Amino acid sequence: MSAITMDAPDAVAGRTEPVLRVRDLHVSYGSTAALHGISLDVHAGETVALIGANGAGKSTTLRAISGLLKARSGSIAWNGKPIANRPPEEIVAAGIAHCPEERHVWSGMTVEENIALGAYLCRSKEEVRTRMGMAFHRFPRLRERARQMAGTLSGGEQQMLAIARALMSEPRLLMLDEPSLGLSPRMADEVFDVVRAINAHGVTVLLVEQNIHNALAVASRAYVVKTGRIAAARPAAELRGDPELLKAYLGG
Amino acid sequence: MTLERNILLALGVLAALLPFAVTDQYVLHLAVMAIFYAILANSLNLVVGYVGEFSLGHTAFLGTGAYTAALLSVNAGWPMWAAVPAAGVVAALFGLAIGAITLRLQGPYFVIVTLSFAEVLRIVANNWIGLTNGPMGLAGVGQGGIADKTVFLAIVLGLAAVTFYLSYRFVYSNAGRAAVAVRENRYVAQSIGVNPFGTAMQAFVLGAFLAGLAGGFYAFYISFVGPEVFRFSFMATIIIMVLMGGKGTLLGPVVGAVIVTLLEEYLRELQELRLSLFGLIVMAIVLFLPNGLMGFVARRREQRGDAPSLSPAIEERTV
Repeated sequence: MSAITMDAPDAVAGRTEPVLRVRDLHVSYGSTAALHGISLDVHAGETVALIGANGAGKSTTLRAISGLLKARSGSIAWNGKPIANRPPEEIVAAGIAHCPEERHVWSGMTVEENIALGAYLCRSKEEVRTRMGMAFHRFPRLRERARQMAGTLSGGEQQMLAIARALMSEPRLLMLDEPSLGLSPRMADEVFDVVRAINAHGVTVLLVEQNIHNALAVASRAYVVKTGRIAAARPAAELRGDPELLKAYLGG
Repeated sequence: MTLERNILLALGVLAALLPFAVTDQYVLHLAVMAIFYAILANSLNLVVGYVGEFSLGHTAFLGTGAYTAALLSVNAGWPMWAAVPAAGVVAALFGLAIGAITLRLQGPYFVIVTLSFAEVLRIVANNWIGLTNGPMGLAGVGQGGIADKTVFLAIVLGLAAVTFYLSYRFVYSNAGRAAVAVRENRYVAQSIGVNPFGTAMQAFVLGAFLAGLAGGFYAFYISFVGPEVFRFSFMATIIIMVLMGGKGTLLGPVVGAVIVTLLEEYLRELQELRLSLFGLIVMAIVLFLPNGLMGFVARRREQRGDAPSLSPAIEERTV
């Protein structure tokens, strides 16, 4: 956790090139604009949180990055290459995995099938088996339930499954959308432990959370999103230590 | 999935043994029609059950196949073994073209546009008299060829074997699982790198190919093809089979095809009442068995025992 103080946006920007660089991103749903120019950087090995009220545009930002939504204007660069408006399968192949909100798993398929499908773009069966072994090693509870229908899992287990599935594409950036939504506090803690462990293994994490305290506990930096714009970018520790500041940003 | 395969194999063997037990031409005719419909229902099920979009234009491919086979036979004298595969290929090409347009649409838009494609083809068949002979249709397909119903039964069984082999391979391939993933949740499927349009296209073209094969067989079996192969009532029959048997399973459409073929025969005396009865049956299924008979059976099996822990042992024994 010593990195926190060094990870102030300016300090980092001077040090390395960000792996993900979003500039002036505009996205609209039909004629309704949802993002009015989002700019953010994510550096290799970081955990960055996007926090903000409901409907601020956090999930929309993730969906635009993963190609699920079209960007109206602005740029998204991944390792220096533009990826805005590329098809989602290309973006997954490039190493960005998106774990969408509400932990959607395919409830009519078994846990095993859910995980295996996560490596959909991987053509080598041998490789898929290796990755599944790793997934089960990381999530022993899923191994116990491997042949169970995914719909019979508890909420927390489904979230673990969704994360395990997203990791099957061996991403270098994992984007998590509201991983603790609807989970008991204990279960949420477990999920965030997993996020920490994944990050410790070198996977960069971009996290959207409504539960600000959890988000700031796991992230090194945070962007405050307000009505489709970035209202602030601060080291997580700074925000955590200053409830007044948070209140001002979140209008809470 | 092993159970499903074994039941399909058993049904196939049963149908193959039928001519040894029965010589009644009428019964053999019913068997041929049931298998023909099973192929057709299965091909529609690839779209309805696995892509999850409701196609009302599947007769476009049945009709294209039937007309292709009929024209090749009547005008060029092609034998059945060449004309039927050609019918499948032409229907698959139509599937490629129609799919390229319709699979960009979802929900009601897909339903209406597929329906209009079938209607357009029906109107073309009705009016392009130079090619299709218009409402008079093409008669004498495969004239002087096969007359024995047993031979037709063997041929349609062969086609069914091809159909279910290809469908089985598709459904349990990566593309088939991806199609189900898209059906269940499009966003999540995209997030793991599935291209929904591409996987839907594979299912759609395979469905078109198989429907074309069925259509080609139909042309030779009935030895006549007219514009009514594109008619909506044909479509309705196939849909009832898929819904009754259970969409999204391989066995369901077969069960549905057998039941509906037999019902159609035995309710024939009731004439107009027959269609009303079918309407009622469809309503009852949608209300009480939304996943069809096979869906119902599967649920009962799940409720009765903890199938997951049992299944590995069962699989080992049956393989």
